[in-house]
Amino acid sequence: MNMRLGALALLLLWPALAAVSDIDPNKTAGNPSAPVTVQIFSDFECPACKVFHDRSLPQLQRDFVATGKVFLVYREFPLPIHAHSREAANYAVAAARLSLYQPVADALFRDQFAWSVNGKVWDTVASVLTLSQQKKVKAAADGPSVLGEILREVNLGHAVPVTSTPTLVVSRGSKTYPVSGTLNYAILKSLIDDLLK
Amino acid sequence: MTSSSKTLRAVMLVLRIALGAVFVYAAWTKLRTPWELFAMSIDSYQLLPLKAVELVARTLPWFELAVGLLLIAGFCLRSASAATALLLAVFFGLMVRAYAKGMEINCGCFGANDIISWKTLLRDGSMLAAALALTVLSFVQRRNATAR
Repeated sequence: MNMRLGALALLLLWPALAAVSDIDPNKTAGNPSAPVTVQIFSDFECPACKVFHDRSLPQLQRDFVATGKVFLVYREFPLPIHAHSREAANYAVAAARLSLYQPVADALFRDQFAWSVNGKVWDTVASVLTLSQQKKVKAAADGPSVLGEILREVNLGHAVPVTSTPTLVVSRGSKTYPVSGTLNYAILKSLIDDLLK
Repeated sequence: MTSSSKTLRAVMLVLRIALGAVFVYAAWTKLRTPWELFAMSIDSYQLLPLKAVELVARTLPWFELAVGLLLIAGFCLRSASAATALLLAVFFGLMVRAYAKGMEINCGCFGANDIISWKTLLRDGSMLAAALALTVLSFVQRRNATAR
């Protein structure tokens, strides 16, 4: 019975999930069947990504994710110009395996200035994990599963193409728009409102 | 018709078709997507208040389209070429300012994914030179026609 219900749920959600390929369910927020999907290609060491994370993301979550209108998907896009962003992405994706992506991502952006200078990424990550969680994250961070997921997401970003971070890919049905720049929330809100009409 | 005036007409034809096509293409890349995407690019220059950003994002692509079509058709050539040169001078000035300030932003010229670099400056600088040449030539042609 449970299997039948699960299969039915998967069947109903399939169009929404198929619209965005290769989703790590632990790196999402909101309802997968929401009409609009926003993929965020971000780099933990990029200052503009921190500004977006600190200022616009909470508003986006309040206005659209919490109300079931937008399904958020976080994508890793560590830029080669940043010395520690790949390591930060490894830890964040490893933490996502324990459903701890959000607290680790929040901590990484909160302490971005410190670890991008001193290189102590792990200290920031560890500060929001228990000892047992730290062991699991440390073990998974350099594993093929985590590295493969990041590589897939970077390749997805190149296909967009993402040329700067953060880049949002806002989509509804067949309409897909990459959005980059200052990511002014008022303009972003207007775009999503128009797509929801 | 003298050979120099033939050459002048040929050069003007090439310049106005090329610039006109570029302007129509630039307008098309903006008009086929929601105005907010172009607004994001304009906002990245951090020069205008939000209301002005919206106004420019909604109207500029239509102006580019009109100017491009006028250039291709050859109507109101002096006004169209002068407007083109003026627009390109403004765009070029803004891009040089952004590049000098180290702003890694989308120039907003042809939709998304056109980050300002020395290549985009060279491209827009060449277009500005072509538009200035076309403006001068269109006034010279008018003067010659009046003198005859």
